[in-house]
Amino acid sequence: MRVGQRILLVGGLPIAIAALIALAGWLLLAEAERARAGAVLAGTIYRTLTVATTVRDEYLGARPEERADHAERFARLTTDAAGRLADLRHFARTADQLARIAAAQRALSESVDRMQGLVRITRENDGLIAEMADRAAALVALADQARDRQRAANTDLVASLTEKARRLRQVRDVVAAVNDLRAAVAEAEIGASREATGGGAGVPLAANLVRVRNAARTVAAALRDDGRRDEAEEVLILAAAYEGSRAGAEPGILAAAGAPATLPAPVNVLGEWSERILKLDGTAQRSLHDEVAQLLAYAVQANETEQATQNIALATLKLAQRTADALSRRDPAAARAMLEEGEALSGTAAALPISPLIQGEMIDAIDGWRERLETTIGRLRRQNADIVEMDRLAATIGETARGLNELFITDADRYGESIRRLLLIGATAGLVLGSAAALAVARSITGPLRGLQRDMLALAADPSRQHLGAVERRDELGDMARATRVFVDEIGRRERALRRAKEEADRTLAELRQTQADLIQAEKLASLGQLVAGVAHEINTPLGIALTTATLVRDEARDFRPLAAGNQLSRSRLLAYVDRVQEGAHLLAANLSRAADLVHSFKQVAVDRVSDERRRIPMREWLDELLRSLGPLLRQGGHRLDLVAPETFEADTYPGALAQVITNLVKNAVVHAFAEGRPGRIAVALSREGAWVRLEVRDDGRGIAPADRERIFDPFFTTARHRGSSGLGMHIVYNLVTGRLQGRIAVESREGEGTTIRVEFPVEPAPEGASRRALPAGAAEEHSA
Amino acid sequence: MIRLLPTLLLGAVLAAGPAAARTLVFCSEGNPESLNPQLVTTTTGMDATWPLYNTLVEFAPGSTTIRPALAESWTISEDGRDYVFRLREGVPFHRSARFRPTRTLTAEDVVFSIERQWKADHPFHPVSGGTYSYFNDLGLPNLLAAVEAVDPRTVRLRLREPDATFLANLAVALGGILSAEYAASVRAAGEPGRLDREPIGTGPFSFAGFQPDVALRYRAFPDYWGGRQPVDTLVFSITPNAAVRLAKLRAGECHLMPFPNPADLAGIAADPGLTLLREEELNIGYLSLNTTRPPFDDVRVRRAVTLAIDKEAIVASVYGAGGTPARTPIPPNLWAYDPAIRDEPLDRAAAVRLLAEAGHPEGFEAELWYPPISRAYNPDGRRIAELIQADLARIGIRLRLTTQEWSAYRASMLAGLPQMALFGWTADNADPDNFLGVLLGCVAARPGGSNIARWCDPAFDALVTEARGITDQERRAALYARALRRFKAEAPWVPIAHSATFVAARREVTGYRMDPLGRHLFRDVSLRDPP
Repeated sequence: MRVGQRILLVGGLPIAIAALIALAGWLLLAEAERARAGAVLAGTIYRTLTVATTVRDEYLGARPEERADHAERFARLTTDAAGRLADLRHFARTADQLARIAAAQRALSESVDRMQGLVRITRENDGLIAEMADRAAALVALADQARDRQRAANTDLVASLTEKARRLRQVRDVVAAVNDLRAAVAEAEIGASREATGGGAGVPLAANLVRVRNAARTVAAALRDDGRRDEAEEVLILAAAYEGSRAGAEPGILAAAGAPATLPAPVNVLGEWSERILKLDGTAQRSLHDEVAQLLAYAVQANETEQATQNIALATLKLAQRTADALSRRDPAAARAMLEEGEALSGTAAALPISPLIQGEMIDAIDGWRERLETTIGRLRRQNADIVEMDRLAATIGETARGLNELFITDADRYGESIRRLLLIGATAGLVLGSAAALAVARSITGPLRGLQRDMLALAADPSRQHLGAVERRDELGDMARATRVFVDEIGRRERALRRAKEEADRTLAELRQTQADLIQAEKLASLGQLVAGVAHEINTPLGIALTTATLVRDEARDFRPLAAGNQLSRSRLLAYVDRVQEGAHLLAANLSRAADLVHSFKQVAVDRVSDERRRIPMREWLDELLRSLGPLLRQGGHRLDLVAPETFEADTYPGALAQVITNLVKNAVVHAFAEGRPGRIAVALSREGAWVRLEVRDDGRGIAPADRERIFDPFFTTARHRGSSGLGMHIVYNLVTGRLQGRIAVESREGEGTTIRVEFPVEPAPEGASRRALPAGAAEEHSA
Repeated sequence: MIRLLPTLLLGAVLAAGPAAARTLVFCSEGNPESLNPQLVTTTTGMDATWPLYNTLVEFAPGSTTIRPALAESWTISEDGRDYVFRLREGVPFHRSARFRPTRTLTAEDVVFSIERQWKADHPFHPVSGGTYSYFNDLGLPNLLAAVEAVDPRTVRLRLREPDATFLANLAVALGGILSAEYAASVRAAGEPGRLDREPIGTGPFSFAGFQPDVALRYRAFPDYWGGRQPVDTLVFSITPNAAVRLAKLRAGECHLMPFPNPADLAGIAADPGLTLLREEELNIGYLSLNTTRPPFDDVRVRRAVTLAIDKEAIVASVYGAGGTPARTPIPPNLWAYDPAIRDEPLDRAAAVRLLAEAGHPEGFEAELWYPPISRAYNPDGRRIAELIQADLARIGIRLRLTTQEWSAYRASMLAGLPQMALFGWTADNADPDNFLGVLLGCVAARPGGSNIARWCDPAFDALVTEARGITDQERRAALYARALRRFKAEAPWVPIAHSATFVAARREVTGYRMDPLGRHLFRDVSLRDPP
């Protein structure tokens, strides 16, 4: 048993027991509280849902335009109930309660869905009912239109009938008058024939003739009334002719009896005329009579039709109202009966001779109404089914909520009882156990602590001593002993590792130095090679001239010899020969001496390069020679190299190192400063500044990027590794200037405008070894060599 | 302002919404005898079928010029015997509650429509009575040699001999094209008669319902190949009496009426709400004397009747301003009219003498049939009959007047039943043969033919047949002049009158045109909005 555990056992046991009791009590209290809150919530849900059902009933009973409020209220209530049900889940304790809540939630969500369906159907039904009312109204409007038209038509019809009746009366008057005339003429003829046969006392002829005349006048008047003036004149003339023939020419008839009549007798003419009028007017009378009868029949029929139209419209309107009532009572069976009535009505409208202008529309209106009603009834049935289902769901939810309420209350009571019991038992047990444990633990800690103290003191006196007595222990004391041992071991191991690492680093450094020196030497040799190539080239020119000249002199001599031998030599020819030889000798001498000079100077340069001894040199001449040896380097790119040295002076310095510096700087400019194919200019400026020589190598190339400027003196830094640069040239320069020459070096460069490298060194450098201290302030930072 | 315009237009469209269906009502003069153009011979029947059907070729509105209809083009062979018609593409047939066409017009429909009338063994030939009077009267059964569908859009008709009138004959009602698919479907349903009772065509209107004596209803066919009609509904409100027709027209119950009473013409012309339309129609109203029935088999009796009738009085009192007394069947506005032929004057004495010679010194009794409805060629059949009755009574012929409902009347006429009958004819094409051949030829004298006098005179028939076969108008006129003289001598008819035809329309009617062939056509007729 570890120390901590023991202490924990002693101090913690009573605390833990107390805490456990408090926790259990608190939990039980919370549970009881929760159960009680759950009961309250369940009760609220039950009440909310009861209200929701009432609201739904109000919704169904409300007027269409007021329904929205009720639907909204229902939605609010059910959302509220759903929220509370979700809350109730947190209060649930048993699977049974959870299952009941889930069932209630399902039922509620279904109930909400049904309500949405109900709202949709109700809205559609309201729309349909309104549309049906519109259609019925349209029908009434159509019937009204028909009635208005009929009224206007009636006026026309009356006028038309009056006119026809007038014509009929006139024609009838004419026919009657003509018949009278014929009767009068017949009477007169009978009277006349009686008189002629001596048949005795009849009406006297004159009276008969007067009657004929009067009858003719009546006919003429009737004809004039009918607007037939010509025929009126005709009848009067014909009647007068007849009267004349009868009254004045009585014998004429007798005379004519035996002879063939050349002209028709006036009585026959009058008779024929009457026949014709009777034929035409008789048929006209019949025709007019027919027309009047037909018009009357039409008038009656039209009014009956109009009445029937009105009746249909009214019947439809009533039917629509009764249907709307049935629909608002939610009675599909009654509405179904209306549908059948509508069908009968449609049939009637189709069969009646309703005005063709509106018949089609009326039938369409009724049929459309019936179609809508059919749909509406179907929906009503679904709506009723939905309502029944919603009631069932509401009952289910209510029952569930009430059940939950009771469950939660029972739970709450049980928790209260549990808390009391727990407090009593827990307090007693905690007190007894705590006291016993405290005593036992205190003893088991103090002994081992003392042992460990001893061992630690011994180890401090001799770290190599590896033994610690308490290592084997399994408690905190053992831990301490083991940790101490590990600590001591670790210190020893680190000391050894440090020593090895240092030796390794020293060796590596030495190797690095050797490698760098090797590389620098290789670079120097390479530059010497270039020098030799340059020298060979420079010497080649004077030697070539000398050789050519020598060849010419030899040829001249060969040509001259036969002349001299054959005594053909003229004075002028001799003189010319001498001139030429003299000229050739002069050329030979000049060129060979130039070659010798070159060799001398290059020898000096080469010696300088390798010998590296200190010597006094005339700076301008020396520099001139050096630069000349660099000629081949420049020629390749077509660059120019100028020396700017206004004064001549001597310096006691290391020409080898200086040559190496200048060669490298020029080479560097040639390699890096200029773009491919663009010749540039390099100037070497020499001047003396008191005890210092200043040497500037300037180019007008592209300059050095600022990022590269600080690194150009770093070994192996180059931007032209692909062209074979080693990256050591400038490093060597730096080392030589700051080392052997005891000088300083600075770079000025601006991108696109060229680079100037300034080297300054003492005219008389201090003897080797004492030079470092003489460096002027502001010189470039030192690099360890 | 410009922004307002669409809103206003929209408002106008909404206001004119479904409630204001445009209905065009034509107060027609009688019941159609059939709704199948192949079975009708009266203009009343034809008028009822024109909205429903189209022919291969048609007379351009208001003229007798032939133009493409269902056939978009055609060719006639050198010898004048082969007619090849190229059909218009995608012409839809009407739909009905019981028939949904699955295809558009093809050559099969054309072949069906012709062969039904032509071939006695065609399954539809006996359906609905099986008499194709007009088809037969035009001599088409003997003229046709072959009808074949070359491909779905090409039909070839081959004739036995060239015929100058053939194309015009295809443009009359009997050339209407029925749906072979519909025929097959009603036949499969065992009700072939529905083909003629519930018609399906390609015309501007589809059939909506027929209540005899009340109304015939059509709906605008939205997919009509010639474009949707400006009205939604077309109704023929059947109104036999001209006075009632006029009353309805004045009341706005109908928009158009044919055959106004001649006595009402002046009143209509003066009415600011109405328009009176007049057309010099090619027609003839006549009294037919049945030459196969005694006593009219005797030419002397027929001549006596001719001499005793006061034609001038009839024309003056019944026809009014539009009438011209007729001397022959040929109207004066047709090129075959011969002004040299004149009527003998009214002579009762001569008539009585002729009757006595024929063995009827005391006259006889006979039946005179008069049409129950108004026609242009006979505005008031009853009154003409009464006037004739009065005239003939003077020479001892006692007439009993009789009539029947119009389609029955027409059937009786074609059956050759009446001794004496008032009838008439409106030309279907502007060819003299349409009068002389169709009405007086021997072919038309067979039972069911439209030669209701049943007069078959070989000499006359030979002249008319010869004239039909040639195209030279002068030569034809000469032949017809000879034929007409023969007609006058034999007197199978008493020609009574040619008449201009009138239609009274309400002012709001637009696009209605009078037809020289006496048809009443409602294609593209519209209604102006009332002010």
